Amino acid sequence: MNTIKLYFRSMGMLVKSQLQYPASFCMQTLAQLVMEAGEMLAVILIVDRFERLNQWMPGDLFFFFGMMSVTFYLTEFFGRGVTGNFPSLVRSGQLDTLLLRPRGVLTQVLCSAIDPRRIACIAVGTAALVIGSRMSGVQWTFLKALAMVESILLGILLVLGLFLIEAVFSIHSVKSVELVNALTYGGRSACQYPIDIFPRPLRVLFTVIAPFALTLHVPAAYILGKPLYGWPDWTAFVTPLAGAALFGVMYLVFQKAMKFYRSTGS
Amino acid sequence: MSYIAVDGLDKRFTVRKKREKGILREKTVIHALQDVSFAVERGELVGYIGPNGAGKSTTVKILSGILTPDGGSVTVGGRVPWKERREHVRHIGVVFGQRSQLWWDVPILDSYSLLKDIYRIPENEYQRRLAQLTEALQLGDFLRTPLRLLSLGQRMRAELCGSLLHGPELLFLDEPTIGLDAVSKLALRDFLKEENRRNGTTILLTTHDMEDIAALCPRVMVLGHGKKLYDGALPELLSRYDTQRILTVRYEAEAGLPELPEGCAVTQEAGNYKITYAPEKMPTAQLISLLQSAGSIRELTAQPQNIDHLIAAMYREMDL
Repeated sequence: MNTIKLYFRSMGMLVKSQLQYPASFCMQTLAQLVMEAGEMLAVILIVDRFERLNQWMPGDLFFFFGMMSVTFYLTEFFGRGVTGNFPSLVRSGQLDTLLLRPRGVLTQVLCSAIDPRRIACIAVGTAALVIGSRMSGVQWTFLKALAMVESILLGILLVLGLFLIEAVFSIHSVKSVELVNALTYGGRSACQYPIDIFPRPLRVLFTVIAPFALTLHVPAAYILGKPLYGWPDWTAFVTPLAGAALFGVMYLVFQKAMKFYRSTGS
Repeated sequence: MSYIAVDGLDKRFTVRKKREKGILREKTVIHALQDVSFAVERGELVGYIGPNGAGKSTTVKILSGILTPDGGSVTVGGRVPWKERREHVRHIGVVFGQRSQLWWDVPILDSYSLLKDIYRIPENEYQRRLAQLTEALQLGDFLRTPLRLLSLGQRMRAELCGSLLHGPELLFLDEPTIGLDAVSKLALRDFLKEENRRNGTTILLTTHDMEDIAALCPRVMVLGHGKKLYDGALPELLSRYDTQRILTVRYEAEAGLPELPEGCAVTQEAGNYKITYAPEKMPTAQLISLLQSAGSIRELTAQPQNIDHLIAAMYREMDL
């Protein structure tokens, strides 16, 4: 419980730091808004051009876009310590400083940064979710709402887990940013569209290795009333656990990597 | 058992270097620490010196639980630092002269309040320590100023306060006076002495500033090439190398120096002659009468060798 309190206290302080530079903060938030609105524009153009993508109607596409946008940028908002620039923590020696305090390293990394500018992207994503569910005429039920909340929360764990891969590489002093970016930012770009429009290799990549399809698309398709691959409804509550599983595995790998770090030095 | 007990400490680093030709990288093993042993009792103030790359930081990193050694044993207060990292770091404080541990953009008081949560310091204990440290370090004027706006001297005081809030038994200081002006340096030394006296805090100080060591540490350890070369009092160490004196002479009229015996080195500087000699071979009285024979002397000053020169001579002799 104390850890959660520490996290929120840290967040309060980080917001204070950001507000030390109000003009910069506003400009950057605005830039984020323009950027994410541009992403959504791409969806609008596709919708405008094609009547449908496989079985997906325009409203469905907005909904998929919104799910990814909200999930990814909530992660960047609250988990900036992990998604930001972990390799620089290693290079600058800040990681040593964290080891000098009686707390877990990952806890402290999470407490070290947030990115409130992402609120703009989250707002765009939320708008896309509202528009999408209206256009597709989603009949909201308690179960559907539950599926959405579960999907987003576990999706956050998934994104954190993917960024932990980058962290582990940097601890082993391997430069691999491009490779990992393909999974994180690449995953975000690709999986804002439903998985079944992609060729097989990409479907495998984003189902087995970076399971965005399992965590976000299965529940989204269930909410839209068009189950992915015709899977039964209950799968929408089970497959998102893949996100938690990936995070769990990466958490253990990260702890192992920290052991390596402490035995090899910097 | 001693508070800090280090026995046969060993640490190697593998460094990969690019070969001049080709893409293969060569592995070289650097022996950062070899069979280092020492013991420190509670409440001691120990200076840890040695040239750059001697292994000082590696030792501190192992003692503070950041690094795992390759061999040997270490206990601090009965705990093995790298095995019980979290419990261990609760009882130590570390200050790096060149790296901040506080938050850059917020008032230092906010940083302290977050440290209170990180270390789980009880509220009344925190208030007591904070009041004590604020007074001793004279932080009152800038408690509500962001760290980035502080001068170097103020920042170092703020860092010290941050590392002492949780009442550590052991304090590591890495170059704490680097870049500080004379007044700040003296104030910092006084504070450290007082902290050691009042709270019985054990302090391990690594520095290149020999005056820090002379002013603070009754005991000094010298490290070179990963080995411990000396462990004892500073004056004793210096007396081994303190074999020379310097005599500066200025004549009334421009006069040439008389012929001096071998073993005297002379440098000339704006009409002053600086003579470095060994009193054991050339008694001072004899040298002075020799100088007087060349003309009437306006000014004559004698001084011991600078402490930095002695240390340099020591490093040279130890082949560091």
